[in-house]
Amino acid sequence: MFWKSTYNELIKIAAKPRSYIGIGAITLIIGIILFAMKLDGESFISMITGSFEQSFSFEGKILNGNLLAYIILQTLIIHVPLLIALVTGDLISGEASMGTIRLLLTRPVSRTGILFSKYLAGFTYTLIMQAWLVFFALVVGKLMFGTGDLMVFNSSGLMVFQEQDVFWRFASGFGLSFLSMIMVATLSLTLSCFSDNSVGPIVSTMAIIILFTVISNISIPVLQKIQPFMFTSHMAAWGNFFEDPLPVGKIMKSAIILLLHIAGLLAISVYKFNKKDILT
Amino acid sequence: MTFFRSIIISLITLPVAAVASAQNDAGVILRELNNKLSKAKDYTVSANIKVDIPLIRMLPVDVQIYYKQKGKFRVKSESIAIVPRQGFDQINMMVADTNAYVAMVQGEELMGDVNTKIVNIIPLTDTGEVIFAKFWVDPLQDVVIKSQFTTRNSGTIVTEYTYGSQLAYGLPDKMVFSIDTKKFKLPKNFSPQGTAPAEPAEADKKKNKDKGMIYITLTNYQVNKGIPDSVFEE
Repeated sequence: MFWKSTYNELIKIAAKPRSYIGIGAITLIIGIILFAMKLDGESFISMITGSFEQSFSFEGKILNGNLLAYIILQTLIIHVPLLIALVTGDLISGEASMGTIRLLLTRPVSRTGILFSKYLAGFTYTLIMQAWLVFFALVVGKLMFGTGDLMVFNSSGLMVFQEQDVFWRFASGFGLSFLSMIMVATLSLTLSCFSDNSVGPIVSTMAIIILFTVISNISIPVLQKIQPFMFTSHMAAWGNFFEDPLPVGKIMKSAIILLLHIAGLLAISVYKFNKKDILT
Repeated sequence: MTFFRSIIISLITLPVAAVASAQNDAGVILRELNNKLSKAKDYTVSANIKVDIPLIRMLPVDVQIYYKQKGKFRVKSESIAIVPRQGFDQINMMVADTNAYVAMVQGEELMGDVNTKIVNIIPLTDTGEVIFAKFWVDPLQDVVIKSQFTTRNSGTIVTEYTYGSQLAYGLPDKMVFSIDTKKFKLPKNFSPQGTAPAEPAEADKKKNKDKGMIYITLTNYQVNKGIPDSVFEE
């Protein structure tokens, strides 16, 4: 019954036009980036390597699919979760606003079961969004620009990873960025449990992400004490996979904090949804 | 009176004569150097490039280098590689064009067991990137043991050359570049999530790494085998 319920939730997501806004936006943004890079990518590369080029010439193919994927991931990783919240923020509150929640809860599945079937459907939607992002950024990027070594900028400066050393870093990086997206999906689902209209949880999720992102980046000592525990401080943790040596401790810490947030928010969701008044 | 006039004339003419002599010596040294380097009409060589520069981290890479007179130079690489702009084929180009600079022997210096002649070179144009060059030349083998290019925008690049299999052509087996890195800075926009530009690592700071090193080992020379011009076209 749980799987049937999950399947139904997926059908509902697929039937809503707003579910395609995110996919459309990702396609458009990445398409524009790829097109612009095809037209004037070399100028972009010169901007990056400018301060070095007086002394060195860079040989080899710098502008390639791997670099494009890195740039796209860096550009979109903060924004894609907002697109995911459009759908996941509506999962419970949408039912409440349309008045279908009473009917939904008459089915022989526990409230927790229904919540988790919705969560699993939201999880699947997030996975599809992430897969679409990976496909466009990495696969289409490589088809258009070919492959090669990856030149990135991180806390060590300019770093060149050899082509054979890149795939596992992307796979792991996408994995960790998926965790941060799931974190946002969980946050919006939780907020959705508190609301009876769709707009509130979606806007609240966006507001929280913006607020936390701002706090995460302000260098005020008082705020710096809480920054390590804020989920927005760990949404860019995927970038740690492009460090050498690999900061395993930092990666683990980010993953654990995101997982703790997810678990905590899920617990709140379960509590709230089970207590939710559907009669008034 | 005649005695004093002779002394005054000597005081005026001796430095001029000394400078003229130094220029003549430099001209001879560079001509011999050019003669040697000119023997290699073209060459290809495999190069292993190892980079040790603050703010840049990369594994050693293998590239193929192509050179053809006059001034055609190309590096082909599957991997991303960093090649110094000065000190590679710059010597060939400089010594080949004797009208482009003023040269003067500054003195001698013992480098290892080689007594080198130090030749200072000042380009006549004031628009080029190189504003001053200094070569430590082995006058017996007619090869450059060390060079120093002072540039307009990228500081000073010092290169040391080690010779072996291609000594007859004046082509080195190993080159060690020392490069000023003070001006290196990453653009903020391209740092992760817009964070501040990276600073040299603490270890690099401790080692006072205002200098970066590039080590190039050259093997499998193919000299004067002919290289089509298409190789040098992009």
